[in-house]
Amino acid sequence: MSQALPTKEPLPAKEVSPTARFWAEFRESKVAVGALVVVVLMLGVAIFAPLVAPQNPYDLANLVLMDARRPPGFIGSAGYTHILGTDAQGRDLFSAILYGLRISLQMGLIAGSLAFTVGVTLGVGAAYLGGRWEAFIMRVVDLQLAFPAILLALVLSALLGQGKTQLIAALAAAQYAYFARTAHGAASAERSKDYVEAVLSTPLPAWRVVLKHIFPNCLPPLIVVATVQVASAIALEATLSFLGVGLPVTEPSLGMLISNGFQYMLSGRYWISIYPGIALIVLIVAINLVGDRIRDQVNPRLKR
Amino acid sequence: MSAEALPLLQVTDLATWFHARAGVVKAVDGVSFSLKRGEVMGLVGESGSGKSITGFSIIGLLDLPGRIERGSIKLEGRELVGLPPGELRAIRGKAISMVFQDPMMTLNPMLTIGDQIGLALEAHESVSGAEKRRRSIAALAQVRIPEPDIKIDFYPHQFSGGMRQRVAIAIALLHRPRLIICDEPTTALDVSIQAEILAEMKELVAELGTALIWISHDLATVASIADHVCVMRYGKIVEAGPVLQVLTRPQHPYTQGLLDSLPSRAKPGAMLARGAGTDAAPPPRLPRQAESGRRSADLPYVVIENVAKRFQRKSGVLRLLAQKAGLAGPLPLVQAVDAVSLSIARGEALGLVGESGSGKSTLGRMVAGIYAPDSGHVLLDGERVMSEGEAPHKITTRIQTIFQDPFASLNPRMRIGDSISEGPLAHGLVGRAEAVTYVAQWLAAVGLDPAFAGRYPHQFSGGQRQRVAIARALAMQPDVVVCDEPVASLDVSIQAQIINLLIRLRQELGLTLLFISHDLSVVRHLCDRVAIMHRGRIVESGPAGEVYDNPRDDYTKRLLAAVPVLPVA
Repeated sequence: MSQALPTKEPLPAKEVSPTARFWAEFRESKVAVGALVVVVLMLGVAIFAPLVAPQNPYDLANLVLMDARRPPGFIGSAGYTHILGTDAQGRDLFSAILYGLRISLQMGLIAGSLAFTVGVTLGVGAAYLGGRWEAFIMRVVDLQLAFPAILLALVLSALLGQGKTQLIAALAAAQYAYFARTAHGAASAERSKDYVEAVLSTPLPAWRVVLKHIFPNCLPPLIVVATVQVASAIALEATLSFLGVGLPVTEPSLGMLISNGFQYMLSGRYWISIYPGIALIVLIVAINLVGDRIRDQVNPRLKR
Repeated sequence: MSAEALPLLQVTDLATWFHARAGVVKAVDGVSFSLKRGEVMGLVGESGSGKSITGFSIIGLLDLPGRIERGSIKLEGRELVGLPPGELRAIRGKAISMVFQDPMMTLNPMLTIGDQIGLALEAHESVSGAEKRRRSIAALAQVRIPEPDIKIDFYPHQFSGGMRQRVAIAIALLHRPRLIICDEPTTALDVSIQAEILAEMKELVAELGTALIWISHDLATVASIADHVCVMRYGKIVEAGPVLQVLTRPQHPYTQGLLDSLPSRAKPGAMLARGAGTDAAPPPRLPRQAESGRRSADLPYVVIENVAKRFQRKSGVLRLLAQKAGLAGPLPLVQAVDAVSLSIARGEALGLVGESGSGKSTLGRMVAGIYAPDSGHVLLDGERVMSEGEAPHKITTRIQTIFQDPFASLNPRMRIGDSISEGPLAHGLVGRAEAVTYVAQWLAAVGLDPAFAGRYPHQFSGGQRQRVAIARALAMQPDVVVCDEPVASLDVSIQAQIINLLIRLRQELGLTLLFISHDLSVVRHLCDRVAIMHRGRIVESGPAGEVYDNPRDDYTKRLLAAVPVLPVA
């Protein structure tokens, strides 16, 4: 008789944190894992550029003008092989790309984080406060999203002048709106869920409700936007630098390297522009592939 | 053997398995039954018993990785297992049809009702346009839809839930099938609508001579429609027989357990016989604050005074301009709660009963301090629950809430221990040092292993989550608990356990309850007094026994009459 009804319900499943589940699923896509490896690798060589690069491209004492515009594989006067050739000043292109990658990634990540912080604060805040504040913040965001990001970034960097800080400000200002809109949508949905009503009935202070309950549950879509926006910040920075309104010449990012080599393209010295371009494309595509995989994973419609 | 003697449907040793990555799930494992022409069979079981999969197997709507592993399904002697998809399609909708739980999911929102009936007609017959319309209207009239010639051009969203389910039934009846399978067809509907559908279904089946398989978790609805009943558990039929016999003299212990889990069969307020697993530790008490400031016990404890709440869709900027210019009127108001006054005595359990849209949850949320009322106020022991002013917020912790859906009411990204200790920590009821012990004591008090504190909500079953949600609410040491349908989404046996847990904790802690439910039997079991809510107003309130036995209001009478009852031995 006693076994007729389950007196105890089945024991809970093995303890797996949401993060661990996420990685287990992420690993199922080989393309995404490959892309992640590429991203990590590029981050690694960018951080350790001084150790990996054969030459410090900014140290003028290292540059030999005789070695300028040499094709890939040329053995320079310093005795090592320039595997990707040299540029107009005789810089080793491989080293220049590593240092350029460093600046590009730095700009993308800092601008991305800044845009994330500002945008998410505005978006989640608007969703939590509701009413007039919500309407005001979100209409400003909508207005800004009506303009292409590149246009805004161009205008801003023209107004603010050249320099790292100015460019970061311009990039973040052009991109925060994407975060704000995503955060607002996610937070509005979370705010009306039972678990938020449960902590409202406890009651907990507003900052706790927002930071501990609403914000963490908005993260999945925000991470997706963040990866895509970091990639697009890098592309945006490269565009601005290519156009000459981005970084100063003393901070050559990938965009500037491409720009520098552009004039030699037609004279057959393709490598000065092409290799930094390839590095830029690989970086952006890899980040986007990782972002796509995360998007697929957090989209419940694609769940099996 | 003549065709008449042959059973309409003969299922023999049916096994439907799901080959998932984690292993084989034997959803249906050796089920046999037969159904005569015009017979109504009830298929009863708790979630995961395999009752729906049995239905899907018969009509050939299994999705991968589900597969019929062995056994046979014979419709009038013709084997259905292993039939090519094309031939199955010719049978589906014509000889056998199906009605699902949620008609909103099965009706296409982009097509009018007439178009959808037309498509279903065309699937098996070639009919002209005028003929199609005539027969569609006739089909709607058959399921008692008023003004069928007008309603035929409506879209599904223009119908209520009950009307949509009638449309689904009309489509199922279209080709005069010999068998209809209904999978929980009234579960999503209110009791009064359920009663109508049950009565109509019974008439239609008798009129058309169609056999019916009625799949449900609810023994009472099955009792009111079926001739025979099969009780399923873990993919097997544990007991079968005539309804009256199975429900009044159950042979199998599982059936007995199911029946004993029903609050309608127990003495009000008593522990349910089969709600085992609640032999748990006593709940931890903290020294109460402000004990001296209490008023005398005979005064009303919770006072709800003229509380009203409206919901209005927000007007956009354009609409606001148009309203200013007099070109557009304001958007319609929904009066969710309309000037309700109620009081609850200390230690009393008040049941708030109503159908969906009656405003009972909105009222509960205002008592719990989640929504601010538009007018009126809620007092607890003479104190306001929410602050006054521009942006009202909750200022008491003495009222806590337990919600219906334990899957939605716990933060999925927070360990349950943190969910339980968060409130007490934030309000200084316990210090950081004692929090771990406090959580462990509460987990033990609700019948969970204290070692589960580090787990996430997704690792628990529905009943276990509801225990966590109860611990979270009670860890705030409230005097009043608002329970919003706390057992509505649970299986019967789990429901009995949670009801017993609530009864025990209420006694031990001397809690005052506002218990919101659509289930009249649960409310009768748990509550001293009931208030019946209809369209935002309280239509009747009084001691539970009195209201149930001598209802005075017309709506209450109708509501009570609509509840299906189990046959008594």
